[in-house]
Amino acid sequence: MSPLRAEARLLLRSGRNLFAVILLLMLTSAAVWSGLVQMDAQRATIERVEREQTRDLAAVEAAQAGPKGEAGYNAYYAFMLTQDPPPALAFAAIGQRDLQPFVLRIRALGLEAQRYDSENYNAELALPGVFDWAFVLIYLAPLVIIALTHDMVTAEREAGRLRLLLSLPGSGLWRRRTGLRYALVLAALALPLITGAIIAGAPVAGTFGIMLAAALYCAFWFGLALLIGAALRASATAAAAMIGCWIVPTLVIPTLGNAAIAGAIPAGKGIDLTLAQREVVHKGWDIPKEETFEPFFVNHPEWRGKEEFEGRFHWKWYYAMHQVGDETVAQDVADYRGALTARDKWTSRLGLILPGVGTMNVMHRLADTDSTAGFAYQDSIAAYHERLRKFYYPYMFNDKAFTRADFAQIPRYTSRVPGGSLPAGSLVALLLAAALFLWLGARKVTRVSSARDSRPKDD
Amino acid sequence: MAQGTAEPAIELAGVQHSYGTAPVLRGLDLSVQRGEIYALLGGNGAGKSTTLSALLGFIAPSSGSVRVCGIDPVSDPRGARAQMAYVPENVSLYDHLTARENIAYFLALAGHDTGASVIEPALGAVGLDSQAWDRRMSGFSKGMRQKVAIALALARDVPVLLLDEPTSGLDPRAVLEFNGLLDTARERQVAVLMVTHDLVSAVDIADRIGFLTAGRIEEEQQAGEGARFDLNALHDRYAGTGQAI
Repeated sequence: MSPLRAEARLLLRSGRNLFAVILLLMLTSAAVWSGLVQMDAQRATIERVEREQTRDLAAVEAAQAGPKGEAGYNAYYAFMLTQDPPPALAFAAIGQRDLQPFVLRIRALGLEAQRYDSENYNAELALPGVFDWAFVLIYLAPLVIIALTHDMVTAEREAGRLRLLLSLPGSGLWRRRTGLRYALVLAALALPLITGAIIAGAPVAGTFGIMLAAALYCAFWFGLALLIGAALRASATAAAAMIGCWIVPTLVIPTLGNAAIAGAIPAGKGIDLTLAQREVVHKGWDIPKEETFEPFFVNHPEWRGKEEFEGRFHWKWYYAMHQVGDETVAQDVADYRGALTARDKWTSRLGLILPGVGTMNVMHRLADTDSTAGFAYQDSIAAYHERLRKFYYPYMFNDKAFTRADFAQIPRYTSRVPGGSLPAGSLVALLLAAALFLWLGARKVTRVSSARDSRPKDD
Repeated sequence: MAQGTAEPAIELAGVQHSYGTAPVLRGLDLSVQRGEIYALLGGNGAGKSTTLSALLGFIAPSSGSVRVCGIDPVSDPRGARAQMAYVPENVSLYDHLTARENIAYFLALAGHDTGASVIEPALGAVGLDSQAWDRRMSGFSKGMRQKVAIALALARDVPVLLLDEPTSGLDPRAVLEFNGLLDTARERQVAVLMVTHDLVSAVDIADRIGFLTAGRIEEEQQAGEGARFDLNALHDRYAGTGQAI
């Protein structure tokens, strides 16, 4: 029997160790299943909205489009679907997808009054957090690693086996023990992930990238556990120290860091932009129409001279009012986006020194479910909304009828291409943290056989 | 006794070692031949376990030389450890493994064959009931655990055996059985160094007894041919090391 096989038998015959590994496997499997179900639910929602969309548009077309059809009515009633289907790896790292909208029906009215509609109930979703593979990796896997390693050295000392083990001529005892535990933890994480990736049709490179980040994150924890376990003499003390190391950099510092970032970089709420835009629009009803058209012509001079109309209402004035509303709050929108982007950057920087945050950043970027992905969807909505306006304005300003043929020409939204990428900086920081702590841990455990560690209590 | 004239299996010459500023070994000279059982007696702090640590290569003496079958445990710890088996005082093997599995585990770590042809004769030699071979060790008595540890040492079939307080906590019958095992080891030409507080046990089995006082051998006594030690004289000598029986 090889030493490795002997070590594997010793490890797996221990009920506690076996329980820890099986528990991790079950949690990971449950998380993958939960992620797949949640992403399927998002796809199902998008499909359901698409079906409703088809029916709604048919009704609007029948009621509003025709030889005497008005573009303004059509634009008013035609809600156009935009959607951000879950990327294939989203099941593993859901990220912001449960908070940010993934489907939004918009009209050619003011954009800013529409795109933050879901913000008021998303806050409730943020409270319980999300249970996905990344959550199990970041928060639960370290606890399993602690359970497997906290007494790897100290239990031998406490049981009086340490001198016997060290008296044997073989080598690589701690390397084998750590390596086996590392392999088991990685297997418990990888098997469900790979199964989920196959089911979701996830790209091999992305799946590999996520596993690479997970392997580095676990290596960091094994290094830390080895360092503490070899440095302390009692199992209970080692366990307490490791739990402390889990709480502080995984829970306390990220929470304080996020609070500090939020305090240092204030950002309003999207709903405030909605209200501000609506106030401008509502004010437009009470002011002379030229006070709406003049700011409108600043950015759309091509329609100057076509603003005259008979009567008190015309769609071109109504839509110009909405556009001016958007443009009035444009700086606020830019500031809001800038603040969110700055917060995102600082969170990334936090990830360079906190492996948990760094791993989370890598996961969400690879899965394309982070704030960057949310911003990209928002940008694609804005671009699409611009296309809608440009499509409708000629009909309104030229007083052209909006026929069924025109209705068929209404631009349709094209989903953005998922843009998951490997954040090299975060990955390198993770690699360095893992390498540093593995080195420190290996160095410390090698010294276990030194005079101090092997010194008899009673000579 | 089968003491030979060849190179000693265990040899310490002028060994000095300190823990911090506290000297523990102060010019220790000790040698054990193959086929010899040497009992090293001494009180607390006399340097008994430190002597074992020096032989196992756990510590590097500040001066003097240590050799196990001619190998320096400091410069070649693996080579030296391959020549010796160590049985610690409180034998606590893995409770969730059986006796057989425990021996197989430690043999595997030592790079030895772990087959039944190696393990079963060793377990048989120490007199452990064969029904206990495949039972988890959580229910084993101290004596049974001691037997498994000795079986492990025998299974390794090495020329040097280091025993740290081997009869501590054993009942009288177990001590007699243990002495029988050491007789077997002697017959196999194994050099045995046992570190002990137990003068009676040492007298019963040892070929030579060394009294370790303040880090050096103050006196050695050798059993005469077919004769036993004078227990009364030994008691008076031993009491001087700081630990009475």
